[in-house]
Amino acid sequence: MTLYDKYASLIPVLLIYAVLFAIGISFPGMWQPVAFIMFYITLGQAFNIFLGLTGYVDFGYVAFLALGAYGMAIAVDSLGGANLGYGIILVGLILAILMASILSVAVGAVALRLRGAYFAIATIGVNEGFRYFVEGARLWGGSEGIIISGDMRNIFGRETANLISTFVSDILVFIIAILAAIMTILIMNRRMGYALMAVREDEDAAKVMGINVTKYKVMAFITSASFAGLIGASAWTLKMTYVFPSDVFLITYTVEAIVIVMLGGAGTLLGPVIGGLIYGILKYYLSITLPGFQLLILAPLLIVIVVAFPDGVVGAVRRKVTGSARKYLR
Amino acid sequence: MPFFEQLAGNLVYGAILGSVYGLSTMGLSLIFGVLRIVNVGHGPFIMLGAFTAFWMFTLFGIAPVASISVALVLGLALGFVIFFAVIRRLINAPELSTLLATFAIGIFLEEVAKFIWGPDHRGYSWDIGNIDLGITLIPYSKILAFVSSIVIAYLLYMWFQKTKLGAAVRAVVEDSEGAAACGINVGRIYALSFAIGIGLTVASGVLVTLFVPVGINPYMGHEYTLKAFVIAVLGGLASPWGAFYAGFIFGLIENGSYTLLGTIPGVEPFSLTRFVAFSLLLVILLIKPTGLLGGESK
Repeated sequence: MTLYDKYASLIPVLLIYAVLFAIGISFPGMWQPVAFIMFYITLGQAFNIFLGLTGYVDFGYVAFLALGAYGMAIAVDSLGGANLGYGIILVGLILAILMASILSVAVGAVALRLRGAYFAIATIGVNEGFRYFVEGARLWGGSEGIIISGDMRNIFGRETANLISTFVSDILVFIIAILAAIMTILIMNRRMGYALMAVREDEDAAKVMGINVTKYKVMAFITSASFAGLIGASAWTLKMTYVFPSDVFLITYTVEAIVIVMLGGAGTLLGPVIGGLIYGILKYYLSITLPGFQLLILAPLLIVIVVAFPDGVVGAVRRKVTGSARKYLR
Repeated sequence: MPFFEQLAGNLVYGAILGSVYGLSTMGLSLIFGVLRIVNVGHGPFIMLGAFTAFWMFTLFGIAPVASISVALVLGLALGFVIFFAVIRRLINAPELSTLLATFAIGIFLEEVAKFIWGPDHRGYSWDIGNIDLGITLIPYSKILAFVSSIVIAYLLYMWFQKTKLGAAVRAVVEDSEGAAACGINVGRIYALSFAIGIGLTVASGVLVTLFVPVGINPYMGHEYTLKAFVIAVLGGLASPWGAFYAGFIFGLIENGSYTLLGTIPGVEPFSLTRFVAFSLLLVILLIKPTGLLGGESK
């Protein structure tokens, strides 16, 4: 494989991002749906780094999103008077990564010793346990949460604060999506990617071959969790300007991430983008035409995908395509 | 000493609640034991049982204890339908597939329930008096739930031990290939076990309604999924009897720690009790994933 072949699959992904961005800024009223779709693409990209590459299901994935959201809220809330200007957002993002990755190290060290069903059960336990700890021990405002809209107005002024919540936060999501795509392809093309592929196929065989299975699993877990933290910080806290435990620990986001990854094709670079695109468009228009029915439609969809198309859209198309076009569909 | 009196009272209550917890987890363990599938959508089946009890009571005035049989039949039918529509196609699929499929089934049930009955809490009260234990008052309805749980668990045990079909199920749990070689139709045992597991779970939902203070709603199952995981892991995950005993232990731990945490100022004991439960789950998974009560691993 030439260098171009190795990274060719990045081209369709970045092309889709560029087209979405262009649509969003050139047509009036389209920025909001584009940002909405982009959120799901990015969520899928981030989750795919773990679920797609390792084949482990983390039912508590939303906890990392939540911690990222808290990271940003805590930064703005406690350093609001420090006159950092836009620096506060940077501090918030760093804190978000830090908190999400610390939790992922802790969870990974415990849960990644377990496999399959045991791992899935443990991750549900972590998410719920953590949420009840925040509420029960009255950590970070307990169930009252943290509200930063006032702080944001004090730091940036009303207009800039508005701009941050309606535009800058979405731009950040775009940047995260690009970074996540690059990170995914880097992992896939390196030793880590091949090691994880071996883990996905047969973990015991991989172990016998001398692959440090745990190390690569934990690395993928931390990477995936850090991206989730970034998404939580920008797409949740900066956009909504509040964080409540009952909202950010909602299992729905985990389900959505799973559906997106499975729909597009787990373990492929393009998969979560296609999955996010389909899911985002579907959900956006369903929430307008049939508000409140998203999950009622999603759940059977997920069952159908699992039973009939376990490889997702990209996996199914890739099997049909031969020759040089295949390299774009990794 | 009022504190010890309160603790003792709560522990009695915990044991009674624990019997229902145990019953509600047996289906999960049975399905895992036979099919090696974790039903991640376990709780919504409990919710269906709860709604069965609610409607039987409010529409026809049928006492919850009598609704158990209705819920059981309903659950068995639902179990067969789900098995032949979805699970059968995933028997040899990777674990990821069954986890996602059962998860999606659970969400689907919740959403259908919300669509039909709305998201609000509903409740009914079945007041048949209390018994005074000296330290605390226990309603007779809860005593009846306690007795029913034990009777159902015992009947299931006898069915497993004394009937041919029960022996076939045990054989499949032991070694499905060996059972197939002995002429047992393994596919049929899978279907039957899945249906019984779901039936038990729905039936236990009827008894759960006697313990929910805020009433029932379509999303109530979520909490029981999580508790069932803790209990199932405590009992060894693959053993329905382990799960039944572990239910008692969990009920005692839950109510005991609630009482103790309530004495610490500045915390919410209700949420922290759940935190304790999930910490317990992680600790058991780490140090003894085969369960505290023994049982097979893997």
